[in-house]
Amino acid sequence: MFIQGLANFIDDFLGGLMLISYALIVGSLIWAAWILRIWDSSAGKSAAPRPVIAICVRILKGGAITLAAMQGTKLLIKGMLLAATLGDFPIGAYLGTVQFIAGLLRLVLSCGFIYVATQLDASPHNRTAWNTAAALTVPLVISGAWLVHGVGRFEHREQLMAMTVIHQLAAAVWFGGVAQLLFLWHTRKAEQAAHEFWPLAITRFGWLGVASVLLLLSTGLPLAIEYIGSLNGLFGTGYGALVATKVALMGGALYFAYRNHKAGKEWKQFGASADLTRKVPYFIEAETFVLVGVLFVAATLSSQPPSVDIKETTATVSEVAYMFSPRLPKISSPTHEQLLAGEAGRVAVVDKVPSVAATEWSDYNHNISGIFLTGMCLVAMLSYTGRFRWTSYWPVGFIGLSIFLFFRSDAETWPLGPIGFWESTFGNGEVFQHRIATLLAFLLGVMELRARTRPDADRLRYMFPVLSAFGGILLLTHSHAEFELRSEYLIQSTHTAMGLLAVVVASGRWLELRLAGASESSSKTIAGFDEGHVAGFLSILAMFIIGNFLMFYREPLY
Amino acid sequence: MFPHAIKQLASSALAVALCTIAFSPAAWSHAVVTESSLTSHPVKPNHPTKVVLFFNSGVELALSRVFLVSKGDVFHPVEIANGKKAGEMLVDIPPLEPGDYALKYKVFAADGHFTENVIRFRVDKP
Repeated sequence: MFIQGLANFIDDFLGGLMLISYALIVGSLIWAAWILRIWDSSAGKSAAPRPVIAICVRILKGGAITLAAMQGTKLLIKGMLLAATLGDFPIGAYLGTVQFIAGLLRLVLSCGFIYVATQLDASPHNRTAWNTAAALTVPLVISGAWLVHGVGRFEHREQLMAMTVIHQLAAAVWFGGVAQLLFLWHTRKAEQAAHEFWPLAITRFGWLGVASVLLLLSTGLPLAIEYIGSLNGLFGTGYGALVATKVALMGGALYFAYRNHKAGKEWKQFGASADLTRKVPYFIEAETFVLVGVLFVAATLSSQPPSVDIKETTATVSEVAYMFSPRLPKISSPTHEQLLAGEAGRVAVVDKVPSVAATEWSDYNHNISGIFLTGMCLVAMLSYTGRFRWTSYWPVGFIGLSIFLFFRSDAETWPLGPIGFWESTFGNGEVFQHRIATLLAFLLGVMELRARTRPDADRLRYMFPVLSAFGGILLLTHSHAEFELRSEYLIQSTHTAMGLLAVVVASGRWLELRLAGASESSSKTIAGFDEGHVAGFLSILAMFIIGNFLMFYREPLY
Repeated sequence: MFPHAIKQLASSALAVALCTIAFSPAAWSHAVVTESSLTSHPVKPNHPTKVVLFFNSGVELALSRVFLVSKGDVFHPVEIANGKKAGEMLVDIPPLEPGDYALKYKVFAADGHFTENVIRFRVDKP
């Protein structure tokens, strides 16, 4: 039990990190080919200078090291999970699984990438090393085909596998390219070559980005139709909701991509663009937040059964809408004794009796948290008027919220329940995630309070968007232990929506902070508002909506 | 943009990839029970029964476990085997007295995801 809960959570989390590192490797290779024109002997002056190639190699190496570490850990964790769940460890059977073989192959390939990248580190123009890297990319991409839903289908199996691999490849090109741009920008101060190559990189990546988005859509749409199948499937299952979230996040990323592309075109046309250096780098940073969210959603999708397979347990659109509809928050809670009295029946397998006290306990927790958050956001919104100094202390609400969550989120565990702190934290994946969320809320409160009230807390300011993004990812990968698909999904639907909004909170606040440095004239929008402030206000608005969802939350009885 | 050798390498790799995918042995991902014989053929009292579970995809049998759960949540491991068709699992149920029971399964899909679920059923008096 101790290991199982932790292993389950880490396993899901590693999936997202692996997709990111995969994208860094594959994206770097495509970047090297199309943007740096490594293989183009006729490129002449348009070829990338050595320091710029060195940046690409560093990202390639970083991606390879991360993938190797994540893949190795995943194989180990999976073994531990098996032993913990089954009570014994049939090692022979485990070593023979497709999962293990494909994973091992990826581990070996990433070690190969590390070796090649080390060679390229010493000699960035080494054509043989680049050719080897390109050759290694092919099996790396193909091995992904055995780790996707398509492999399990009885119909159109090969087409689905191939289509998903192409879909992953397109995502890798997009994310990998954005990561390259990000590092290129941050190296420009130390490297004049990187500074000079910046506009060229933006304009060249524009078309590559468009191509990858078109490929993503043309492969994603048939996959969605095959796996989701209906409107209820889209909004009434975990799989469908995650796909909808992915689409929404991609919409946000596309907006940033459009702004970057526009600035690039302006530069190409007029030879200059103020946005290219004053805004585009920060849009790229925000785009990275969003794309990281997309990749974590994609990783979570792989642990959900496709909607078409669970028609019997699919929630209807009206059931989902009911979960989000406004109502009076619950401000009275059942006693701890009432809650514990119903627990035995609630968790029983054979004579299961749904516990009204448990759902009311949970409703109270969510609703009170919602009141906290909504109140904080109203004060935060007031702070944008600049008239009331006291309003900048709004983050103190997070500290109060974390104390409330610590006592209330898992009633059967310490300090209120009989299960010890360590046993519950590491023995149950859901409790573990709740503990992290509690810690996150506390850290958010302490750090943001200092950041908003102390002018010298420059770096601390960035912790809020980073922790918000982490919280969003946690919500998007949040799972409940029971496997009552319909009720579980109804709960998950609210968490997924909040996860999506948390990414908006993160990227909005990040942009607000970063654009504050942009010059007065270039940070105005057409409507005359400061773009940074608009982003910051949107961030608070997203948090306000999260507060509302929590305030109206009603857990289904199950 | 690419030299001829690279183009050749890429097209060969693509061909190998498509062939590998097309001719690879079947392996399956996330598994959920879409149907079970318990609905059409309820368990009769005091008779051993072979229950068939139909998964939306296959499972790694050696890494999966099924338990019969009786009143008071007492778990008994039961024998499992592959069925005739892909995605079918045969579960041996021992003779049971009338009452409420459940099958708790923990299955490991080929993509490495565990699925745990419960199927509740009743054995009626004859």
